[in-house]
Amino acid sequence: MAPSLFDLPFEDDPEPVLEPEPAPPLPTASPSSPAVPTTDGSAPRARSLAPSESQPPTAAGDSRTTPARTVLTVTAITVQIRDRLERDFFEVWVEGELSNCRLWNGHLYLTLKDDRSQLRGFMFRSSLRYLRFKPVDGLRVIARGKVSVYEAKGDYQLQCDHLEPQGLGALQLAFEQLKKRLHAEGLFSAERKRPLPALPRKIAIVTSLDGAAIRDIINVLGRRHHNAHIVIRPSRVQGEGAGAEVAHAIRAVSRVPGVDVVIVARGGGSIEDLWAFNEESVARAIAHSPVPVISGVGHESDFTIADFVADLRAPTPSAAAEMVVTAKEEFRGRIDRLADRARAALRSRVQRRSQRVHVLTARSALSGVPGRVAMRGRHASELSHTLTRGIRQRLASAERRLVLLRRQLDTFDLGRRLASIRTRMVAADGRLDAAMIKRQHHAHLQWRDHIARLEALSPLAVLGRGYAVAWNAERTRVLRDARDVAPGDRVRVTLAQGELECDVRDQKA
Amino acid sequence: MDASIKDFEAAIAELETIVKKLEDGDATLEQSLALYERGVQLSRFCHSRLEEAERRIEILTERGELRPAPASLAGDEPERR
Repeated sequence: MAPSLFDLPFEDDPEPVLEPEPAPPLPTASPSSPAVPTTDGSAPRARSLAPSESQPPTAAGDSRTTPARTVLTVTAITVQIRDRLERDFFEVWVEGELSNCRLWNGHLYLTLKDDRSQLRGFMFRSSLRYLRFKPVDGLRVIARGKVSVYEAKGDYQLQCDHLEPQGLGALQLAFEQLKKRLHAEGLFSAERKRPLPALPRKIAIVTSLDGAAIRDIINVLGRRHHNAHIVIRPSRVQGEGAGAEVAHAIRAVSRVPGVDVVIVARGGGSIEDLWAFNEESVARAIAHSPVPVISGVGHESDFTIADFVADLRAPTPSAAAEMVVTAKEEFRGRIDRLADRARAALRSRVQRRSQRVHVLTARSALSGVPGRVAMRGRHASELSHTLTRGIRQRLASAERRLVLLRRQLDTFDLGRRLASIRTRMVAADGRLDAAMIKRQHHAHLQWRDHIARLEALSPLAVLGRGYAVAWNAERTRVLRDARDVAPGDRVRVTLAQGELECDVRDQKA
Repeated sequence: MDASIKDFEAAIAELETIVKKLEDGDATLEQSLALYERGVQLSRFCHSRLEEAERRIEILTERGELRPAPASLAGDEPERR
């Protein structure tokens, strides 16, 4: 009876019979191997029952006729079984569904099953470390490993050194798992998203100095925000440990004084290449950043965990840079609207209309005049009248502007303005593309426009037309009633140019 | 910069209010003068904020120090100061 029982598992294994070759390399690995006889077909059976240590070399012959009663200890047979299994199932791939997954001292214990059988298994902590996804019950996996025997219990188990999920790739699965968890925590919620600063003081960038991403960002920022202050925190963005490095970089750079927005970027790549941005440490660093974070990772179609946590997701590194300066352009839009409203206010004020016409005429310089002349050319008398009046008023307007400019220059940093003009000239030199020149020029004109309109609105502007403002001696109050002063008092009178200090001689209330 | 101006966005907001008041035309001469002067102040502030920051690229090192970025990073820029 005994032989048939033990035979069963081994009859499936024709290797030693069909291929004598493998036997020689193995003897040391398995004590049973040396006993393999080379001459007759029954050898495998004899071998399994009669290990060399308990049977003299002649046993093969004897066992055929009168099977010797060989008594093995439990341990002896278990060792044999173990050796046998470990040799024959040295590296196998097994497909099944995970169940009974549990961790113990950092090792994973599991059962693989299909609809008819179960196979117990485990995975050492040292191998588990390399898994990117979390093995959970119900997951279909392919396990790689060897069969081993736990002698104390007589169990055979699959010692897994690698697991991969079926269907989804391991990384994809890890991604889904983390995404689900962080989402449940509320890290992706819209309320967490912070607005970007209108005009960033310092723009921080976390990326590799070697990649294309950093150059793309610097180029875009340089073109659209030529005086941007950029702080780069270099970080590896791929490979083992890159996630931790990125997370550390975000924490460090977001705390640099003056930094009010952070761009986290990396150029396109495979899911493995982008993996650092799917790590929890990066997600946490973004979530805890004291200033808004823009993610610009991979291409348009790549989504990483970092994208979900970031305050703003940009499809590419360049787009991230554009988003930072879009805020500046939005702001310019507000200035435009402000200027428009000022313009409308001017229109509604009849007494200021002519002033405004001349401000505009003066600004449009030579090119504007012929057009205006032609328009009115049909009425000769009107034309000459207009020209005369126009010239006279333009002179007054120029004078007025001169006064205001002088006032402004007193307090304005002339050097900076010159530098700014020089910068624009360099730009005009053809080093910027035409669109950029136009945009900057336009923005500049809007500024001047705006200031000009404020000037036009100024009550002081009417001084240019000969009005004057009378003040009390301290220049804290405007006089509008003669009874506010007495003879002998001192008053001040502001004219278009300069100021008078006057003594009151008489008073007619 | 002027301590009474909080930041760029606040300056713009205040400028908007001032233009609106000037538009309304209800202000007295003193008020208009004051508003106007404030408007110019704000406008200058915004202008200088837009122009003030110099183009600058720095590297935050491992040790937490800020160093100028290598020229290779900033070199091919259209504008320099």
